[in-house]
Amino acid sequence: MIKSPLTRFILLALAWLPVTFAIWYFAAPILLWPAKLLINLVARTGFADLVRSVDLAAATVAFTTTLRPGSAQAGGAVSVDVNMLLYAFGLPLFAALTLAARQRDWWRALALGYVVLLPFIAWGVLADFLKNIAITASPLIASQTGFSAWQREVIAFAFQFGSLILPAVVPAIVWVLTHRKFLERLRDRRAVRQASG
Amino acid sequence: MIRFFVLFLVLLALLFALELTPWAQAWFVVPWTNALATISTSIVTLFDPNVVATGKVMRSTVNGFAVSIEAGCNGVEATIVLLAAMLAFPAPWKHKWIGLAIGIVAVQGLNVIRVISLFYLGQWNHDVFEWAHLYVWQALIMLDVLIVWLIWVRRVPRIDDARSPPAAPPAFAGT
Repeated sequence: MIKSPLTRFILLALAWLPVTFAIWYFAAPILLWPAKLLINLVARTGFADLVRSVDLAAATVAFTTTLRPGSAQAGGAVSVDVNMLLYAFGLPLFAALTLAARQRDWWRALALGYVVLLPFIAWGVLADFLKNIAITASPLIASQTGFSAWQREVIAFAFQFGSLILPAVVPAIVWVLTHRKFLERLRDRRAVRQASG
Repeated sequence: MIRFFVLFLVLLALLFALELTPWAQAWFVVPWTNALATISTSIVTLFDPNVVATGKVMRSTVNGFAVSIEAGCNGVEATIVLLAAMLAFPAPWKHKWIGLAIGIVAVQGLNVIRVISLFYLGQWNHDVFEWAHLYVWQALIMLDVLIVWLIWVRRVPRIDDARSPPAAPPAFAGT
């Protein structure tokens, strides 16, 4: 019998992770569909001159752009594929943490976390797309985007922040915010133990 | 709680922006990443002598397989998150420094295990390597940061308690 609530929580989180990762991977096309809608909305309103269409195949978002791959006379259009899972691994992490905390209203926290995480997944995917066309693409393609030097800097920062920090940190932040009572109980139990010890 | 989160996010953004500067890259990130490759290789050579480190690359001399430790895999971002979380949380400074010292060792220790495990997973199965690299280890490292922070938060005295004078001894204490 594990007495420490923190140890129990850690073990449960580790036990839930394989389960939530499996569900997340196989249900990704459904789970990430709302994020694709959001990406489509932002891309078609904010970058209407660059994006012709946004499609979702399994967990990959395919952006078809208005950019030409070669000279202006050449046919075809540049397309960019972005793997959404790269920016969505926070979903199974958040689910494992929520299920491990065993709060009474766990399903509400789960639903709230899912909704809150979606815009950050969209951020990562959009920043990846913009980085691809404005920074890592050939100069011939990048020059067609019309982004200035400082805008490229902003895109680079948004991509770095959206890929290295947000996917992992946001689930933890949302979990802490939705489990304040659980955290208070963890601290209080220790204080009581110290006082009685 | 709101003050903590605002301070945490500000510190996180500032530290991350600082990490991206050429100065921090040259003087801290690159040397640390190279050291991580050297440390990981030193541990591996205890049981597998056919591994060498060159800069940030860890390579097998038997089959030529190599892993290059890139941003996101060097544990710097995870350390930044822990740093921001501990600095932002209301706690006595002594507890913050102790927590940071132990916490950074814990995070970087697990990161060494990540690098070594990926080095061998990559030689075994590329799909498993990709899965572990791109998703599983990312989540595990963040879980590690969160656990370290939770353990630390449990151990730090509440800032109100730390500021208040010690309680008067009970009447029977002197007898």
